[in-house]
Amino acid sequence: MNFIKRAGLNVWAKKGRSLLLILVSAAILMFVLAGLLIRSAAVKATNQAKADVGATLTLSANRQAAFKKMNQSSSSTTKRSRPKLTLTPVKLSDATKIAKLSHVGSYNVTSSTSVNAKSYDTVSTSTGMGSSGGGPGGMKSAASSGDTQINGVSATSLTSDFSNQQSKIVKGRGITSTDRNTNHVVIEKELASQNDLSVGDTLTVKETSGSKDTVKLKVVGIYRASSSSSSSAGPMSTDPSNTMYTSYTLANTVKGSKYANTADSVTFNVTAPSQVSSVKKSGKALINTSKYTLSTDDASYQMVKSSMASVESFANKIVWLVAIAGTIILALIVILMIRERRFEIGVLLSLGEARWKIVAQFLTEMIMVLVVALVIAGAGGKLVGNQLGAQLTKQTAQTTQVTQTQSGGQNGGQPGGQSAGGHGGPGSRTQSTQQAKLAITVSAVDLAELGGFGLAIMFLSIMLASGGILRLQPKKVLIE
Amino acid sequence: MLKTKDLGYWYQTANEPLFKNVNLEFETGQSYAILGHSGTGKTTFLSLIAGLDQPKAGEITLDDRSLKQIGLTAYRRHHVAIVFQAYNLFTYMSPLNNLMTAMAITNASHAGDTDYARQILRNLGIGEDQMTRNVQRLSGGQQQRVAIARTMACDAQLVVADEPTGNLDEDNTRAVIAQFQKIAHDQHKCVIIVTHEPDVAAQCDHQFRLENKQFKALDPA
Ligand SMILES: Nc1ncnc2c1ncn2[C@@H]1O[C@H](COP(=O)(O)OP(=O)(O)OP(=O)(O)O)[C@@H](O)[C@H]1O
Ligand SMILES: [Mg+2]
Repeated sequence: MNFIKRAGLNVWAKKGRSLLLILVSAAILMFVLAGLLIRSAAVKATNQAKADVGATLTLSANRQAAFKKMNQSSSSTTKRSRPKLTLTPVKLSDATKIAKLSHVGSYNVTSSTSVNAKSYDTVSTSTGMGSSGGGPGGMKSAASSGDTQINGVSATSLTSDFSNQQSKIVKGRGITSTDRNTNHVVIEKELASQNDLSVGDTLTVKETSGSKDTVKLKVVGIYRASSSSSSSAGPMSTDPSNTMYTSYTLANTVKGSKYANTADSVTFNVTAPSQVSSVKKSGKALINTSKYTLSTDDASYQMVKSSMASVESFANKIVWLVAIAGTIILALIVILMIRERRFEIGVLLSLGEARWKIVAQFLTEMIMVLVVALVIAGAGGKLVGNQLGAQLTKQTAQTTQVTQTQSGGQNGGQPGGQSAGGHGGPGSRTQSTQQAKLAITVSAVDLAELGGFGLAIMFLSIMLASGGILRLQPKKVLIE
Repeated sequence: MLKTKDLGYWYQTANEPLFKNVNLEFETGQSYAILGHSGTGKTTFLSLIAGLDQPKAGEITLDDRSLKQIGLTAYRRHHVAIVFQAYNLFTYMSPLNNLMTAMAITNASHAGDTDYARQILRNLGIGEDQMTRNVQRLSGGQQQRVAIARTMACDAQLVVADEPTGNLDEDNTRAVIAQFQKIAHDQHKCVIIVTHEPDVAAQCDHQFRLENKQFKALDPA
């Protein structure tokens, strides 16, 4: 394999030229790698988004249908009499039917309401006063607003606030299914310390509607809310600390007897994320779809998916454009290089060297260049990829914001968006404002793929240029 | 060993052949000089002998096998070694590597034998430190000696040289011709040299002059 030795001697002897080739190749490979990295990051982000949000189904009142009905009735009335939105609470019997479907794991029943503090003082912070938090809807229907938000759940661990670690139990325990039909409550740390309450203590609240009965609650746990979970606070709550978790049965009792065995919404965990749509389909067959909806909380997934799809196609274009342009550039360089080396080729031919071995020598030289260029590109491509990725996600974030303002506006435009006595499911609709972030990492697989691309580019450019070698007549070079 | 049979050659652009019906015989252990005016076709003839081009008429045989039969690439690799006026060496290598490379490509019996290559270079007056520096940092005469050393290192029985002393001074010319004589007489190879200089030609065992499309043997003076 004398041609390998010759290639080595040549690359070493002509250091300046080799360096130039290395830099050009590294620049080309860097952009190919950046494209590859962004593409794989986009794929990863899409998959992650799918895993994050795709695996739950939510059974709730069909707002759209109810809203339509309300508009119809309001248009027939002349005066500005406040139209009434009637949302039918979800029946638990429907939920248990859906829960029996295959691929459905645990499910969480949520029923929310608000009460007024009686035996304790609510937490009020200056920051929360003005804007009344991010309370959805921000409407107060006079009869049903209290200063304490009650989130009735099947189990706190099943709520998104707790499962995504935004809220954490710090003392005692969370609400579980064993708390059904009890007066057990989990209160926020701030509220507990302000009123000197601890696990085992009791507190009393006053219902906001109907008989305005007093209800006695027993503290079984204390949790810490992160400030960002304020979105789940009721409209009147001035602070997320005024949110308590109970079993959904208690929330239903507070709401009134007609709410027994109902819920604001039920969230099902689908054990096989790939089965979500089929479960959704069979679940829909079990419910009255004019009153209820069974929805995938995949708005953010869809958003991530579509923005990542464009990122991915953009990355693909980068890869191919750069690869093609790189091949052309390198081929031109190699053609020039071979012209300059025709005497060397002539000497080789006069010694009786096979033409393919001469081509092989040039290819070997390029592969040696490639190896060094790969190392440089590996380091540089991450940088370029990060820059490009940041640029791309910035654009993505802008689109995300636009879509969110749109959907937000819609919510606000629904007067009485909260069911009578209820205040939007806690965490059932936590907007997972998950930003589609591109995690740019250079893996061995990426480098291998890049190496493949580099090899293909080198091979093609040598092949394009080797026509000259294969046609070269030694006599022409050496004698004329 | 090498014979030309009714050999003829002409360039497409010319309306006359450079030479035709050439019948010559070259033997191992002998050196031959080819003289002639500029443009008579000496280099062209040599390129046919060296297997760099194909004759337009007649044929060349090596030990009664035509070059066509042997194949030009195989012929160049195994049977002939070439020395030109310029462009002889791999410019990116040392003299030593030039020899080692040529031996490897031609699959010579001493391929890979560094000591053998060093010995040949030393015999031709290339010093130890000159052997390992880049050939471009050697004088023209030294480079030509490296090219001659290369033909000695390889097994080819036929050595052809086109004006190998063209750009050398008297001393170097004498040294180079002496080496060619050694190659012919000591290594028992066949050496064919094209030259302008009658002095150089006179040192060879046989002389031909290319004139009027024919090679005329000159009686040794
Ligand atoms: N490729 C070519 N096409 C056409 N004519 C050519 C070609 N190469 C050489 N010739 C012509 O053929 C003739 C012989 O050329 P050649 O190089 O063999 O001469 P030479 O005897 O070696 O001359 P010199 O002593 O100057 O080296 C010249 O007239 C030259 O112009
Ligand atoms: Mg000539």
